[in-house]
Parts: sequence; structure tokens; C-alpha cells
Amino acid sequence: MAGITAAEVRALAMLVDELDYYQLLEVSRDAPASAVKRAYYTVTRRLHPDVNRDLPGAERETLESIARRVSEAYQVLRDGRRRQSYDAQLASGTGGRIQLAEAEAQAERAAVDHHMGRTPNGRRYFNLARGDIDRGDLASAQRNLRTALTFESDNAYFKKKLEEVTAALKSAPVQNPFSVR
Amino acid sequence: MAEIAVGIDLGTSNSCVAVARGGRVEVLPNSYGEHVTASVVHFSKDGAVLVGNAARAALIHDPHHTVASSKRLIGRYSFSEEVKKARAVYSYEIVDGPGHSVRVKIRDELFSLPEVAAMVLKEMKLIAEARLGKPVTQAVITVPAYFNDNQRQATKDAGRIAGLEVLRLLNEPTAAALSYGFGRGLTQRVAVYDLGGGTFDISILEIGQDVFEVLATCGDTYLGGDDFDDRVIDLLADEFVAKHGVNVRKDPYALEKLKFAAENAKRALSVEDEAEIRITEIAKSASGESLTLEHKLTSKEFGALVGDLVQRTFKVCDEALQQAGLVPRDLEGVILVGGPTRLPLIREAVTHYFGQTPRTDVDPDQVVAMGAAIHAATLVEGNTQDAFLLDVTPLSLRIGVAGGLAEPVIERNTPVPIEQTRTFTTYQDFQESVKIRVYQGESRKAEENELLGQFEFSGFKKLARGQVKIDVTFSINSDGLVNVTASDRETGRKASTTITLSSGLSAQELDAIVAENRTQRVATGGPPAADELEVLDESGMSLIEEDLEELGGLGIAPETTNNALFDREIRDLSSDEKDGSEG
Repeated sequence: MAGITAAEVRALAMLVDELDYYQLLEVSRDAPASAVKRAYYTVTRRLHPDVNRDLPGAERETLESIARRVSEAYQVLRDGRRRQSYDAQLASGTGGRIQLAEAEAQAERAAVDHHMGRTPNGRRYFNLARGDIDRGDLASAQRNLRTALTFESDNAYFKKKLEEVTAALKSAPVQNPFSVR
Repeated sequence: MAEIAVGIDLGTSNSCVAVARGGRVEVLPNSYGEHVTASVVHFSKDGAVLVGNAARAALIHDPHHTVASSKRLIGRYSFSEEVKKARAVYSYEIVDGPGHSVRVKIRDELFSLPEVAAMVLKEMKLIAEARLGKPVTQAVITVPAYFNDNQRQATKDAGRIAGLEVLRLLNEPTAAALSYGFGRGLTQRVAVYDLGGGTFDISILEIGQDVFEVLATCGDTYLGGDDFDDRVIDLLADEFVAKHGVNVRKDPYALEKLKFAAENAKRALSVEDEAEIRITEIAKSASGESLTLEHKLTSKEFGALVGDLVQRTFKVCDEALQQAGLVPRDLEGVILVGGPTRLPLIREAVTHYFGQTPRTDVDPDQVVAMGAAIHAATLVEGNTQDAFLLDVTPLSLRIGVAGGLAEPVIERNTPVPIEQTRTFTTYQDFQESVKIRVYQGESRKAEENELLGQFEFSGFKKLARGQVKIDVTFSINSDGLVNVTASDRETGRKASTTITLSSGLSAQELDAIVAENRTQRVATGGPPAADELEVLDESGMSLIEEDLEELGGLGIAPETTNNALFDREIRDLSSDEKDGSEG
């Protein structure tokens, strides 16, 4: 696979601070987690210093810093919570870059605000369930939501999500390829 | 013609070198035909340095001048637990160096740990050169995934001292996964369970055709096969005290025999159900009569001795899976790495934990070096089409703040390379300077983390507290090495450091060591003379059942190996090379 030319590196370096993470990874704002991962593989491979060993020293260094930004974009967009913090920042127009610790702190606050869980385990299983919903694995989402509720049995938001998932499962039963019909 | 770069697995107990060329990966055997070489360095009286199994055998008759398991000390502070423990266990002298670094003292000569590691690397380099028939100057060296920056930096320094350009420090489990999945077009999630001589790592990877993405890695750099041996040693020594009233731990020679016997018994238990331990004349009784230590170690007894250590590895596995957001049934393969994973005890426990039988088609002693070789080849060819690695940082990077706390700047399991900036301020009015302390670890309390380095930053405008804005930028490169820069927003003044503090060597020291090149003393090379082979056969691994005390009388260090001769060989070969390319 082709890497990148020195001229392209210089052009990208001038542009990189203007790009938001979606633009950097070349994905749409509503891209699911799986598309983010694929995009990260493609972009990081093209820009990786290992692939571009023939570049002159200065450009390689620049490329290394761009590669760091690509990792950062992936680390934010791959995780639902951090991504939500980032989207909020983008919407408020305060810049296309967020520090990971900041995204994490905001996600913590948002979690409390949005009744996404008070306990670490509640949040954890709720997040797993959200990942499942993104992937369309409703059965697993149902299990994770039920588990989340064992840690916070009175969380109305969890209950609401569980009802939604259960309803969706009933209307479109998942075919289990291993079940005997 | 293209240069050849090798992959070196620099292990706590054993090291291995491999090369990938023409689409094939091969482990390069040493001159005795062994695929792994003991990471033991013996300093003989005449100044020669011996590395490998012969050096390992020298542990018995000359423990004070023989350094084993040096990887457990590399990049550590002299006050660390590991160093304290090593002082109690090893017979060679461990002394303090500048800046709380560690030095090994051999006959009034001081060696830094990177230098000792460099001697092992030099041996591996010589093995490769002998097999490939040409100089080898570039390598990918593997490190435990859980190694911190100090340990990585020290390992990189070791490479330089050994005359190797270190193309990359590669995490051992990542190397193993690469070796396992390379060229097979797999799409699966795997766990690499890597229990080495001194360290335990677990990595969870997602392999997507030719992309190897590490999802999470966790580990324990204080847990390995050596600890299993220690348990056996304790059992034998305690039993001996109870029976004969003599503490064999006090005699370094007896202790080495005990270590040797414990390790061999452990190995035997990989294939047998029980191991016979017998060391004659290990000590003398109060009345002067020779005493023999005897014990029949069964698998069951051994399991009870080390059960808690094995359980500790699964605690770490829990953590890694949680970080990756996965459960054991999400994994489609479990790869075992490291000698101790040959133990049925470990295999059963791993099978039970992951709910699947681990892969047995990869050699746990060679898989890491092979992965490193594959990566070395792709790096030299500048073409990573065949395999592309995406790794993470195993430990959170933190900055020390007021109140003895450490704030995370880059969380563990963040993909590398990465860079993060955080803004800090002064906490006193008209403060003139700030001290920036950089830590690695998972504790909020600064002191519970590893201090990577510190530097003073000044020159900013003196203002009321909270008014000064200092941006501190942390970056981690693809080797996992850390760089820190501080800059003042108002003046733009910058100070930066690549943290090298406790690799144990300053830049000047390193230059001096490279110039002095004591690794030249590593006395090895072409196939050994027949008389040396004979000696080595007698001192080989199978000898434990024989009478160990005989070893004391054997001259194990080959005195005949000629360093200068080997140098000439290398020169000749390279000139042949040139002739060939001209012709």
C-alpha cells in the first residue's frame, strides 16, 4: 500500500489543526464504531512513520506528530462516552481537539447528568449495552442492561432502555443459526 | 544489497535470535545447536566474558562472578523492592550507582545493568553473524509489555552498547501474536498469556487480516518462573533445616546448587508427574559429615506451592479483559508464551480460565523472537504491507501535583504514538519555578507510581498563584518511550527532557561505555573446539541427577576461544561480501 509523499506531509501538517477528528479519520459524524475502526486502520497505515521510512527526516518527524493526532482521534471516537463529550464540544464550536483526560472528565460529569449510572459497574454494563445496540446485538444488550440494573435497580434510564431493547427483540427476533427449528 | 535485521527476544532466563528472509522465519541456533541461549553472563578471572549455558553452569562453581536474571534489575532504582530481593537471592555483588541506579560489582569493576544486558545481546548478535555469515547491525528487541519507560530506555541503551541499532522495542506478547497470525489472513480476537522467567504479561489483540491491534495489555513485572523456583527452594531449604539443623541458604555455593536443582525439577514437571531432587554433599553437619538433600517433588505438591502465584496471573487477565471490554468467550484463540507455560499446571489453569484449549502449535520459547524477526524485516524493507502493528501504552502517564498526588495525562491502553498536553499553574504567589515530576503507574498517590524523571521549569513571569499557565506536553512514541516538554504560554519559553534518568546511565556515561566497549570481551564465536564441547556436555542441563559437587572441579570457561580471531572472521566475511557484490 502506498504511503504519503513529502509534499503531502507538508500540506497535511498545515491543515491538521483545522481538521476535526471525523475529518482526520475521513468518517461521517454518524459513523458506527466499526467504521471508525476501519477508517483508523486505513488512515494510520497510510500515515504511519514505519510505512514512510524513505521520507526526509523533517517530514518523518512531522508525520510522527500527525500520527499521534490520528491515535488521539481514534481513542476519542472509538469510545461512546468520550465521543459524546467530543460531539458536545464540536457543537459548541470550541475547537476540533479535545484532550483525552478532559473528554474523560466530561464523560464522567455527563454520565451523572444523564442518569447513565452512579456506580462503576452500572456504568460499565450500561456502556457495554450501548456498544451492543450500536452493533445490533440486542440479545447481548438485554443481558448487559439486566446486569447493569442489578447494580442500580432504581435507575429509570436503564429500565427505559431495557424496555426499548426488549420490545425491539420481540418485534424482530434474532435468528439463532444453531437453534433447532 | 539489503541489510539483514534480526529479532532478539532478550529474556530473563533465556534469549533467542531469529531472522525473517525470503518469506521464511528461522530461529538461529548457537554454536552448540541450541535454539535458546541462557541470559547468564560469567566474568572469568582473565577478563573474558562468557554468555549462555556455559555461563549458567558457572553459577555453581563461581556464583560471585556470574550474573543471572539481570533483566529483573534493569531500569530499576536501587531502593526498589526487586533490587532488595535480588540482593538476598543472588550471590553477585549489587551496589548503588549514581542517581539511585544499580551497578553490578565484579572484581572491583563496576558494570551497569544495560552493560550486562548488552553482553547477552552481543552474544545473540555474534550467534546471528556466525549463522548468517555477515555482520548484523540492526535489530528489533522485545521487552515485556508491562515494562515502564525506565526499563525500556535501559534496554535500548543495552542495544546501543552491544553495537546494534534498535529499530524498535516491541512488546513481547505483540511479537508472539504477530508470529502466530502472520500471513494467515486471520480475523479473530486472541489473548497472549506470557509467563516468562521474571515477568507476566497478558495482551488482548484483534487480528484483522494483516492488522494487529492491541486492545489492552496488563502485567506484573514481579511475577515469573523465577518465583516458582523460589518457592521450591524455600521448601527444600526449610525441610533441610528441620531435618539437619543446617541452613543451606547461608552458603552461596549450596544456594546456587539448590536453585539449579529447583529449576530443573520444575522443568522435569513439564513432562513428568514427579521429579527426583538429589544434591549430594550440599553441606556438612556439625560433626563434619557430608549431608545429602533429597526430595521427591510431585506435580500436586508443586501445584500447592505455586497455586497463589498462578491465581495472581488470572487477576491480571481479568483486568485486561475488562479494559478491552471483553469476556473470555469473546476470544477465539489463546497463545502461550514463555517456558513456564509448558507446565501442565499452567495449561490446565489457562484452559479453565479461558474456557478453551490454548494453542500448542507455537513454541513458547521461540515465538517472541520469531515475531520480532518478522517485524524487523518489514521495518528494514519499509513495507508493512505484510503486517501492521498498532500497540498501546501499558501504564498511565502522570504528572505530580500539589498534595503528593499524581494526575493522569495519558491513560493506560491508549494507542501509541500519542501526545497529550495539559495546562498547569503555580500554587504559591510569585513562585519562580515549578518542579515537573513525571510518573508511570495506576495510583492517584504519587509515591506509589514509578518516578520516570523530574525537571525544574523556570523563567516565566512571577505572578500571583494560579495566574501562570504552563503547558506540559507528554508524548509516547512507537517504542513506548516517553518525552516531556513544558512551555510557558506567555513567554513561549520551553524546556524539555527525554526522560533517561534511571536507565541508570546519563548520556555522557552511555557515550563513554559505548566507546570503551567492554562487550568486546564476550568470548564466543565459531563452533567450539572438541575439548570445549566435551566440558559443556558434562555441564549440560541433564546433569542435575548427577553429582553436582563435581562441577566445582570442572574448568567450564573455555580459555581457548580467541576474540581477535573472531573479529578477523567478521572482517573477512564482510570483505568477501564486498567482493561478491562487485563481481
